[in-house]
Amino acid sequence: MPEYKGMVQPVRATDAEMRKIHMEPVPDEQKPQKALEYLDYARKNYRSFVLAMESCVKCGQCAENCHTYLGTKDIHNIPTNRAELIRKIYKRYFTLEGRWFGKLVGAEDISLDVIEQWYSYYYQCSQCRRCAHVCPFGIDTCEVTFIGRQLLHWLGIVPKLHANVGAAMEKVGNHTGLPKPGIVDTLEFMSEEIMDEFGVEVEFSVDKPNSDIIYIPSSADFLLNPYTLMGAGMFFTYIGANWTIPSTVTEAGNFGLLFDQHYTQRHNVMRLLNAAQALNAKKIVWGECGHGWRAAKMYVPSLADRPVRWPITHIHDEIAELIRANQLKLDPTKITQPATLHEPCNYVRACGLNENMSTIIKSCVSDFREMSPNGANNFCCGGGSAILFDDPEMYQRRILLSSKKAEQVRATGVGANGNGILCAPCSICKAQLYPMVEEHELGVEVKGLVDLVGKALVWK
Amino acid sequence: MRFLIAQVLPYITVTIFTLGVLYRLGRWAGARRVHNINLSPWVPDSGQMTVRIGTEAFLFRSLWIFDKGLWVGAIAMHLALLNIIGGHIVGFGFLGEQFAYIPGITVEMSKAASDMLGKIFGIILFVALAYLLLRRLTIPAVKQVNRTSDIFWLVFLLALVGIGNLMRFVYEFYMPYEHIYAYMAHLFTFQSVMGLPALDNYFFLAHFLLVQIMLILLPFSKLLHLFGMFGMRWLLHQPYQDPAPGLPNVDVQAARRAGLGVPAGDSSGGV
Repeated sequence: MPEYKGMVQPVRATDAEMRKIHMEPVPDEQKPQKALEYLDYARKNYRSFVLAMESCVKCGQCAENCHTYLGTKDIHNIPTNRAELIRKIYKRYFTLEGRWFGKLVGAEDISLDVIEQWYSYYYQCSQCRRCAHVCPFGIDTCEVTFIGRQLLHWLGIVPKLHANVGAAMEKVGNHTGLPKPGIVDTLEFMSEEIMDEFGVEVEFSVDKPNSDIIYIPSSADFLLNPYTLMGAGMFFTYIGANWTIPSTVTEAGNFGLLFDQHYTQRHNVMRLLNAAQALNAKKIVWGECGHGWRAAKMYVPSLADRPVRWPITHIHDEIAELIRANQLKLDPTKITQPATLHEPCNYVRACGLNENMSTIIKSCVSDFREMSPNGANNFCCGGGSAILFDDPEMYQRRILLSSKKAEQVRATGVGANGNGILCAPCSICKAQLYPMVEEHELGVEVKGLVDLVGKALVWK
Repeated sequence: MRFLIAQVLPYITVTIFTLGVLYRLGRWAGARRVHNINLSPWVPDSGQMTVRIGTEAFLFRSLWIFDKGLWVGAIAMHLALLNIIGGHIVGFGFLGEQFAYIPGITVEMSKAASDMLGKIFGIILFVALAYLLLRRLTIPAVKQVNRTSDIFWLVFLLALVGIGNLMRFVYEFYMPYEHIYAYMAHLFTFQSVMGLPALDNYFFLAHFLLVQIMLILLPFSKLLHLFGMFGMRWLLHQPYQDPAPGLPNVDVQAARRAGLGVPAGDSSGGV
């Protein structure tokens, strides 16, 4: 169902696919009533949500600061209006002003059409938090999208992409359904590639007991972004780390953050902790994945069912620390193409990874051009929260959602000669930008940040 | 009607306002900060958290950074409002003689200053509200987020402030401080206010009625963003320290001396 009453929607999971992620779809006639029950639960439990519902004064500050609205000009993609899709129901059933004054204050009765609106618009929001960043009150509309998607999940409405990723994660420990033999084979192939291209010996170990470090790569790095994983392997080899990749968690992402912050997300957290315990690791190092890093860094402490014994850091944190300590020899003249950095939203607005990316890229390339705005002010790539749908209607929307990013990249001039580098150190950003740089004809190649580290390392 | 507005309603207003605010804050307090939703770059300690929230609350930091046009209107409106609320309490409480406590200032000078400040902030507040209303009705993106109630509140406040200004600026409608003082003293001590001179001024009655309506509705409306802002910011700006980087049992110098990664016998300088 790519459209519903003029609204674009992602293709949704079938009932059978929903059951694979342990959800029994709610019949249509029960959905409105159930939605109210779940909404009641959310408002009583999540202060961030209830404050977002009750504190907005509609100043409109968020509108021109949201790439979704800037790209689509759809008024429901203005963050406060998107929140209003739930707020109008919230007001009607859970506030006195809504009960007494109804439409005067924007209150509305629940209906299936409203639920379909939620499905359309909460799956256009990238949960990038730029609205929270600019809002005078700090209203975090991302929290509203989280709740919107959670309610939809409990009603049995999840995009096919997200549901299948959830099921694959539970089955094999990664989003792509890659089993352990495939992982081992791919890593052996990468070792050979590294030797051929860089003349360096890198051994990737899987499930090596008593490893000091377990590295959690994005599973997309086995298939779509091999240089990121190769770069990580080269980095760990360069510094002489005792490291391994746990076959049970070959996934930095956690789609639970994006559609089900209860069972799905918690299950992935416990899977990680089990892997760290089984391999007797001392530290967990995270690969390039924006939402996954947020889920790991900020949500593991509150979702773990037992005390967390392992510090968790991002590979960028570790690389930047070693650069600052003059421990890594990097040669920026190895990469001479003009390069710019797209800073993933989850890194800069939810994980505090603000300075390190900049430190790393400036050490790796000789012609770095800062994007504007950058840092915490940066705009989303348009694919955030896995808006990576490839059905024709949603794909067209993705082009609109990425238009602000395209404008930013163009302004740097890195692609003027068709040989620029757009560094986007997050798997979702990469998956969004691979096709979008072509659609917008930006003249750049999309790369990860660890890719550049691998290329710039000086071994002798 | 006069009895209702001036004698009965004030007690109802105070009761509803107090209970309403407690009810609303109670609803928020009942829900939890479930996960760490800090907004980065974050603050490392509670001192900086206080500074961050304080600059947002009193200087409108984010508006200054991202929308100076709105900042001008918002800061003017809120600062004028703050001064007017304070001016009402202090001015009526001290009969305009509050500045006379400052050495060198006479009672007459204090009354003149009190009157002047009331006029200045009254005008600023009215103009700022009008500016915010105009912005709401003209800027396309803002027009698209308006609800009827958003317009209503601005028009309501303009009426409320406009009547207040009339009493300040038009001599015939002027309300002496002493009349308000006497009226409030009677209210606070639960005495009959009927027959007091303050109630002969219809502009005062209208002004006072609008104030009471606002206070009754405030706990149930968006006007409570005053407290919501602190609640939301408290969630986003909790002090946070990043886990220390540093990998266990890693000695980069030793690894490089051992030539890890470099194939044995490789003497080329290519890598």
